[in-house]
Amino acid sequence: MPNYSTDDNAAEAETPVSMTRAERRQARRIRRFDNPWMNPKLIWGVSLLMGIIALGLIGRVLWDPELVFTGSAPLKLPPLGFENLRGQPGVLDHPLGTDGGGRDMLALIIIGAPNTLFVGLLASLIGMSIGIFLGFSAGFLGGRIDDTIRVLADVMITIPPLLILVVFQSAFGDVTLTIMALLIAGFVWQSPTRLIRAQVLSMKQSGYVQMAQLSGASTGHIMFKEMLPNLVPYLFGSFIASVTTSIVTAVGLEVLGLGPQRIPTLGRTIYEAINAGALIQNLWWWWGIPTLLLATMFIGLLLINLGLDEVSNPRLRKLS
Amino acid sequence: MSDKPVLTLRDLSIEFPTPKGVVQAVKNLDLTIQKGRRVGFIGESGSGKTTTALAVMQMLAEPGRVASGSIDLVGTDVLALTEEEMRKTRLSRIAYIPQGAMNSLNPVMRIEPQLWDGIIAHEGHMERAELKRRSDAALTSVGLPAHTGELFPHELSGGMKQRVCIALGIILNPDLIIADEPTSALDVVTQRQVMQTLNDIQAQIGSGLILIGHDMGLMAQSVDELAVLKDGELVEHGTVKQIIEAPKHPYTQDLISSVPLVGGDSFLNPERNAEAPKRDSSEPLLRFEKVRKDYGAVTALHPMSFALQGDTPQIISIVGQSGSGKSTMGSIMLGFNPPSQGRVLFEGQDVAAMNAAQSLEFRKNVQAVFQDPYACFNPFYRVNHALKFPFKQFGLAQSEAHTQQAMEEACDAVGLDPDLVLSRYPHQLSGGQRQRLIVARALMLSPKLLIADEPVSMVDASLRATILSNIYDLKDKYGISILYITHDLATAYHVSDYVMVLYKGHVVEAGPPKEVIGQPQHPYTQLLIDSIPWPDLDRAWGGGRSDWDPETLEAEAERASAVYRGDVVGFELARV
Repeated sequence: MPNYSTDDNAAEAETPVSMTRAERRQARRIRRFDNPWMNPKLIWGVSLLMGIIALGLIGRVLWDPELVFTGSAPLKLPPLGFENLRGQPGVLDHPLGTDGGGRDMLALIIIGAPNTLFVGLLASLIGMSIGIFLGFSAGFLGGRIDDTIRVLADVMITIPPLLILVVFQSAFGDVTLTIMALLIAGFVWQSPTRLIRAQVLSMKQSGYVQMAQLSGASTGHIMFKEMLPNLVPYLFGSFIASVTTSIVTAVGLEVLGLGPQRIPTLGRTIYEAINAGALIQNLWWWWGIPTLLLATMFIGLLLINLGLDEVSNPRLRKLS
Repeated sequence: MSDKPVLTLRDLSIEFPTPKGVVQAVKNLDLTIQKGRRVGFIGESGSGKTTTALAVMQMLAEPGRVASGSIDLVGTDVLALTEEEMRKTRLSRIAYIPQGAMNSLNPVMRIEPQLWDGIIAHEGHMERAELKRRSDAALTSVGLPAHTGELFPHELSGGMKQRVCIALGIILNPDLIIADEPTSALDVVTQRQVMQTLNDIQAQIGSGLILIGHDMGLMAQSVDELAVLKDGELVEHGTVKQIIEAPKHPYTQDLISSVPLVGGDSFLNPERNAEAPKRDSSEPLLRFEKVRKDYGAVTALHPMSFALQGDTPQIISIVGQSGSGKSTMGSIMLGFNPPSQGRVLFEGQDVAAMNAAQSLEFRKNVQAVFQDPYACFNPFYRVNHALKFPFKQFGLAQSEAHTQQAMEEACDAVGLDPDLVLSRYPHQLSGGQRQRLIVARALMLSPKLLIADEPVSMVDASLRATILSNIYDLKDKYGISILYITHDLATAYHVSDYVMVLYKGHVVEAGPPKEVIGQPQHPYTQLLIDSIPWPDLDRAWGGGRSDWDPETLEAEAERASAVYRGDVVGFELARV
């Protein structure tokens, strides 16, 4: 039997010998907390977003999606338990009321909320992929390629996306959700590119990348097997941030009356409400409900982002 | 003047609540420091040295807390002070010179106002002329010219910045100075200057001094009493003479014996001399042809030519202080850093002009052990990834079971338990374990040449000898030639067959270690050796000679030409 050194146990954590009940309870809480992915912010954020997706999926089964069409219901009915200016009470057939075009609000959000989320996710998925590719190329290959990508990203970051998109969308006229997502993706790749480039540059100097080079690893192996796994928390964080940006941009366009004309989205519903004078007529549910849903969506994304921060930065974890 | 002790620690315990339970950083520490005494705290990282010092300053990092015990500073109970009283106590009564103090100066302020800040915070506003007089006095007392105060930190060298920090610490004549590894980032020559400054000034103001460190030699040269800490416990305390000459605790004995000496017994036991692996080419293993490296206008390495034959395994040491160009040489050899001029040839092949297959062959045959064992493992993977991946990549693996067996054998060879270590994540292992795994990795791949760049400088002192003998075994038992890059002359003396001393990118002295390090002739080599602090009370800096003058030696080193002290078979260094 070889004689092993004694420092094998040096890294072992010390375990307290005896504890009071309060300390045990705290230890239990801490242990649960020890899995960074199980932090309350992340759980709440994910639950909120999953709730909106579930609303879209289950709603399609339980509610009649046909009710999104104009004239499929009486006009300007208030939600259940309220009265509109004409004194009409809300009815059970349209629990969230109807809009000025005779569309059921519940059906509108069942179809519209997932659409808005879809645009945001697709746009940032494409944006992130471009960002990862360009960021890695710039950071790893360096030289002329780095200069080109960096200048491009820096220039693009100064251009206000809404301005360009307004021009584009007016030229295109009616667009589908996918095309809108593609257009927005053209404006959310810059910050992931810069972030990943910076991380790659610092990681390139690290010992384990040098070790991998010594091991005869190919560039692809170093990029995707050695570096990328360590970037995952950053990538997640950056992804969520760009989903938020994409949704803000998409809603902004829709509220201006641009974007898809025939597909219900939360932004378009708000646009129509404003256009029909819903604010003066006190039809608060028409613009209020989609706004509330958007707010929920942003709060959910914000919580996910804060939760992911705790995952990638252990110093933020508190012993509460 | 009262005879009260400067600092009394009674039964002091400090704990850190963490997610894994409460960690006891310091356990029941009892210690008294008398006026004018210098006390050294020695121990490995994590032994509670710095934590104790920070507790005295009431500057423990969250969530650390003093669990029990008392801290008494010349009659004042430090733990009972309010935040405002503590603020007034800091600097005026206890001064703390932090680790890496050279980075703690404000880069956008001149030196003088940074010194004045301390005075104003404790004694209120005063005349500018008076402030100037006091800051000049403080700077002069640490051996800096008074006009240094008008400079910015970046205009000073590391040693000067460290002295400014000492000046900042003593400006209010504190009762106690705490110096936390004040010289850890400095080379031996500067280290000696700074330590002597600190000791002189402490003797002058007559305060107590706590010197925190891990270098037994430095302690022996600088302090009166020594407190040895291990895992938060005070294991031994006594005068330096007692501890160095008759250490009682086995850990202290380890600490003392782990300091390698020039001359004296070797910590290695060369058993057998393995043959170098059979080579197909008669070309030298590694050849430098007038290699030169410039970084902008600075020449890091002046044209150098040598050839390492590699037919018998050898260890060639490259010695020098930081900035001497030794690490640049290492990265040029590995092909990470192309030379500005000249060629590096591996078995007759230019390293810069290899095709993919040749490059893989080169990588397989030239491996490295780096300085920082913490960075060498990808935190995402278990540590066996670092061993398994190159083994497969170089086509050495026959099967999964064969890889596993090779890994286990390599771990055994460096004294690690494969079952305990291989399936862990890097952060679960200590620095020493990781560095040994890197050595095990080199062993598994059995390259022809290993480049060891400061392999033990970031490892705790007690493990250095073990890791060095692991590396020595690579040559001794497995026939691998090694280029050992280090600033540590004592270890180079023991392990190497040939030593090159580098100074500002030039070889100043080269030859067998017994001659170069045993009887140095070049003034720079002499300066380096005389600046090493030995854990020996009879052997002061400069060998105890009264006529020893480091400044003159340094000036001579600039002018003197290189000294060549004989050759060894298999290694040829071109004379310039």
